[in-house]
Amino acid sequence: MKPHPLRKLGFALILVLIAGPVLFPFVWMLASSFKTQVDIIAWPPRILFSPILENYRKVFQEQNFLKYFVNSSIVGVTSVAFSLLLGLPAAYSIARFRQKRLSVLILVARLMPGISFLMPWYIIFSRLKLMDSYTALILSHMLIALPIVVWIMSSYFETIPIEMEESAMVDGATRQRAFLSIILPVSSPGIVTAITLSFIFSWNNFMFSQVLSMEKTKTLPIAVYNFVSYAEVDWGAVMAAAVAIMAPAILLTMIFQKYVVKGLTMGAVKG
Amino acid sequence: MRKLLTILLAVILVGMVSAQAKEVRVLLANHPYGELLKAAIPEYEAATGVKVNVESLQESQLTTKLTTEFATNSSTVDVFMTRPLQEGKMFYKNGWYEPLAGYDFSDYPESAMGIARFGAKPYLVPLVTEWQVLYYRKDLFKKAGLAVPKTFDDLEKAAKALKTADVAGFASRGKGAAAVTQLSSYIYNYGGRYLDKGKAVFDSKQALDAIRFYGKMLANYGPTGVTSMSWENIMPLFQAGKVAMWTDASVFYGQIVDPAKSQVAAADVGIANLPAGPKASNPFIVVSWGMAVARQSKNKALAMDFIKWATSKELAKKGLISNITMARNSAWADPEALAKANAELVASRSFAAKNGFPYDRPYMSAVGNARDLIGEVIIESINTAGASTKLETLAKDKVRAVNELLEDTGEFGVY
Repeated sequence: MKPHPLRKLGFALILVLIAGPVLFPFVWMLASSFKTQVDIIAWPPRILFSPILENYRKVFQEQNFLKYFVNSSIVGVTSVAFSLLLGLPAAYSIARFRQKRLSVLILVARLMPGISFLMPWYIIFSRLKLMDSYTALILSHMLIALPIVVWIMSSYFETIPIEMEESAMVDGATRQRAFLSIILPVSSPGIVTAITLSFIFSWNNFMFSQVLSMEKTKTLPIAVYNFVSYAEVDWGAVMAAAVAIMAPAILLTMIFQKYVVKGLTMGAVKG
Repeated sequence: MRKLLTILLAVILVGMVSAQAKEVRVLLANHPYGELLKAAIPEYEAATGVKVNVESLQESQLTTKLTTEFATNSSTVDVFMTRPLQEGKMFYKNGWYEPLAGYDFSDYPESAMGIARFGAKPYLVPLVTEWQVLYYRKDLFKKAGLAVPKTFDDLEKAAKALKTADVAGFASRGKGAAAVTQLSSYIYNYGGRYLDKGKAVFDSKQALDAIRFYGKMLANYGPTGVTSMSWENIMPLFQAGKVAMWTDASVFYGQIVDPAKSQVAAADVGIANLPAGPKASNPFIVVSWGMAVARQSKNKALAMDFIKWATSKELAKKGLISNITMARNSAWADPEALAKANAELVASRSFAAKNGFPYDRPYMSAVGNARDLIGEVIIESINTAGASTKLETLAKDKVRAVNELLEDTGEFGVY
């Protein structure tokens, strides 16, 4: 049976109502990134304008955003990788051996306002001469990324029937082997979620990078403020920088989303 | 063997010290003067052989970074830009500024030095000053056959005549805490103050009259939604031609006459002194930025040498030529700089330097909190077009709260 045309219309209407407010700021941002300062502040807003690339030139040539991209990527990828390396076994152990106290302790690190870590970190890292180093940034981002991984994954591992490992171990696998070959592949949707969330956290983190980085390791969220001066904001360049920063994050999420869905169905059949 | 080790260690130590001694770490704000300095630093490095490590940060990031570094007592900052009115008192009380002995301050106006000194000693070099002005649209005034307002009464008449469905007759900051600085000159011109002898006094008759007038002007002739507007919102309106008169700091002049940013022709933008009030004509003139040496610096001699260069007469002149309103008197007397500067801007500066009051906010450590409290009184006044019957009670409440803040930091009654 074909859907009623009115129903189709209603669906479209609801779609616009929901997606419109969500997408509007993005459209505005994208449009503004191609506008001159005069066009950006024009009222009523100019729908038709002659697009310029000047803002992007400022972002990539004057301010060398590629350097900040590299910095953010190094910090994001490494901190997520180390968080997985430590967090996955920890989460497994918490799920299987019921280490509730440990998991609460890890949660406390997540619940504490990040700002309370800043001073101790600054003291430690400056004494160790690690200011303006990737190490300092990676360690600080792991403080948040690790609990994200542990919390998502421990509850995920709990949903996996223990019989799966037991049957593997009956067949002669060690617990480590069962974890690596059975549990991890089945958990890919959870792992992807943990990666996405912790990476986005690191990519967007402002507070830690602000204090622990200097010119050499400056990350993207800090660099955006290069366009905010005293009593003056270069809106076009800020918008262009925002587009440039969001693009990789959106792209990554879109790619990973596919795997999340795939992994979910796979898990459903096997589990 | 042991001897060898000792020698080796000594060599390394000496090496480290001498390597350190040739570097200064400088924290600048994202500010046109910071940009100017960054461009000039290679010359300084070439002339002195000192390596300058510069970082520029947005102003609130700068404060956060400085505060964190200084509070942990392990900062490596040598010289930094600082906002005297916003953080000066706190930085001084925490012992983060190094007193500047041996710096020649004779070229600075006395109002600026009042901010730079704590007790008898100066702790920071005034860099940039700004004062309150009236920006107005010459074309609209001409069309309406109006003269530039000289008093608050004129201001109201002009706002009424210039207001159309499309153009606000008058604008000034209405967003609570942000409006505190722009309201200040109105209070002074009515004969009031925020603080007097270390006590909050903005519940006086004079101050209340000023707050009512400010609220009435914005409610009747201001742009829609003015209670959520700071300069970030009003400047674009002015640039889009939607505002006939705007009172704010002189720092925005460059941007509203820049054809790349404004739709209003530069020839149509006028600058005048803030109109006189019933009691006085004392607009604020403040040191918005200064430069200081960090008490924790381990290279104080180098830092002093750098700050002398970075705040020199030559650079001040360069700054004024690129439209930065420098603090040094000599820049404003330099024929080359004056030839390039806007005559109305120069005239308003000389008026403010002579008659101005050196604070645009309650000058105290907890200035942020105090601004929030006063902001509530401003919002109430705007929302009721200055007619609120509760205004006096509200102001008295806030005066009490500000006095408590002063007591908390031991500044009550101290001046």
